[in-house]
Amino acid sequence: MLEIKNLKASINNKKILNGLNLTIKPGELHAIMGPNGSGKSTLANVLSGKSGYEITGEINFQGKDLKNLNVEKRAQKGIFLAFQYPLEIPGVNTNNFLKTSLNSVLKSKGKKEIDTLSFLKIVKDKTSELGIDEKILSRQLNVGFSGGEKKKNEILQMKILDPDFSILDETDSGLDIDALKIVAKGVNSSRNSKKSFLVITHYQRLLDYIKPDFVHVLSNGRIVKTGCRELAEELEKTGYEKLN
Amino acid sequence: MIGNFNINSSEIDKIKNITQEEKVFREKNLESFKSSGFPNKKFEDWKFSDFREIINKNFDELEIQKNTINNSNYINLIKDFEHNYIFLVNGSLHSSNFDYEEKNKIKINKYSEAVKYQVTKNPLICLNHALAENGYSLEIDKNYKFKKVLVIYNFFTKDIKNKILNNKNIVKVNENSELHLIEYTVNKSKFKFISNIYENIILKKNAKLKSLYVQNNKSEGFFHKFLRNKLYFKSDYSNLIFSSGLKFNKLDIECDLIEENCECNILSALFLNKDEHQEIKTRINHLAPNCKSYQRVKNVLSNDSKGIFQGKIYVKDVAQKTNAYQLSKALLLNENSEFNSKPELEIYADDVKCSHGSTSGSIDEDSLYYLMSRGLSRNDSTKLLINGFLNDVIEIIKSPTIKKFIEKKLEDQVNGY
Repeated sequence: MLEIKNLKASINNKKILNGLNLTIKPGELHAIMGPNGSGKSTLANVLSGKSGYEITGEINFQGKDLKNLNVEKRAQKGIFLAFQYPLEIPGVNTNNFLKTSLNSVLKSKGKKEIDTLSFLKIVKDKTSELGIDEKILSRQLNVGFSGGEKKKNEILQMKILDPDFSILDETDSGLDIDALKIVAKGVNSSRNSKKSFLVITHYQRLLDYIKPDFVHVLSNGRIVKTGCRELAEELEKTGYEKLN
Repeated sequence: MIGNFNINSSEIDKIKNITQEEKVFREKNLESFKSSGFPNKKFEDWKFSDFREIINKNFDELEIQKNTINNSNYINLIKDFEHNYIFLVNGSLHSSNFDYEEKNKIKINKYSEAVKYQVTKNPLICLNHALAENGYSLEIDKNYKFKKVLVIYNFFTKDIKNKILNNKNIVKVNENSELHLIEYTVNKSKFKFISNIYENIILKKNAKLKSLYVQNNKSEGFFHKFLRNKLYFKSDYSNLIFSSGLKFNKLDIECDLIEENCECNILSALFLNKDEHQEIKTRINHLAPNCKSYQRVKNVLSNDSKGIFQGKIYVKDVAQKTNAYQLSKALLLNENSEFNSKPELEIYADDVKCSHGSTSGSIDEDSLYYLMSRGLSRNDSTKLLINGFLNDVIEIIKSPTIKKFIEKKLEDQVNGY
């Protein structure tokens, strides 16, 4: 699914990722933990194609080099980023936006675009599956949403766009336990042998609900330790300092 | 003044059925126009729109359009919603239809009266006072609420070329009456012309007028409109401006809040495309206590376009408890676009609430990134953000069908981008 080799990224001459290697196979869920400033969000941004970074190394997604593809092309190819801080977009209706997004993804795959009725059916299914109030979709995109609503909206978008590879950038931060369960449900119900996930988190708590196949520790822009779920528990007790 | 635009005072002699008094008034105004010519940027009110330069650049010749109307079929009526209509051809009243209303409550006539107006420093108004012959006068009786919206089709024929059209209109809504109108400009001319309009709006006690301006299509026309509004006790005026797509447009609105408890709302959502120039100039005169005025001007400016907002709030000493608000926001899509804002407050009362603000900026890259990360192209994301920026003005429209109609028009304007 995803193969990252010796990835280096810098912004304004500041090095952030320093030779990161990571392989994620179809069906796997990887968690990335690490102290503040270790490069977790940069990794998420670089994978989604955010501009402004200087990048060397390889990022292969489903056998193709991603580096020359811009954000929208990557999204159309099936990469999704749930933002750490979803943006408020005044005046843009959430439903319209999601329908337009879904259609541009379908179109790029050579599939038929869907009409409003079928779209609303998808929305109804996904919102009731996740236990999200459908009303948030008739509001302006993220405008006036609480922190929890914004994160839930990210997961809902993920469910509707149905990507092959999803990156969750600290989606659990600032969530109460009920919202956390919705996020976990969204991920768990999407897991299958073809879909992969990269979950960035600070807390082991999320991993009680989403069982990762691997846990990596990112420090100074590279992965310094890899283990299974128990690594997260260990980190929770000992902190990151011992790793350095 | 451009070389070939000489107005002979015999032009006034050609105007039929006028009194000696009116003739003198017209001649005086013509003299005044002749002495200044078209206004240039040395005129304070024209400092951001050098009309003389714009005219010199765009016209080699210019003639006065005499109002002639032929009877061919002009236009397809809007089918999106039921409406009454007034049909103007090159500014002159052609026909009207009030089938949805009680016709005895409505007076519609040709209008050319020119005397009762004050002398002004604006040369274009002088020119209008001198030459305007044919417009419309609309009066709504007391205690009558329109059942359907009134569309004013402002139609320009395809032969209009290098012409200047001067028209004068008056709309009077009497006590306790209500009118909603849409001024809908339809332009068949592919050529340059100037439309110079003077319009009076009078709202008597408890009267309500909601007006909305929108274009059917792009135009090479240069538009100047001076709106003179008088609001009496507890009357309510609102104007939503969606007039994108014109080469040049200056809307000069002067609004007198003459008696207590009246309200004036002016909002605009404009998308200016390549080389377009639009100015909204307002002067809201709070002359009585407890009145409210609200102005919100939104501009999206693309290549080499120029947007201007000059907004003045004047509060007379007796106009206590005034509540006046003014905000302009501009979204600049590239470095060659320009937005000028000149807010002014002149306040002589001590118990008032007045505020003004102005912001301009470019499209937010992070918002673009967010939208694109869902698979939308940069272009589509930009359009979404533009529509989003302008949308809150559309939200004010209550009728769902009219709202949809305007949304579609605005989308067409933005999609041209």
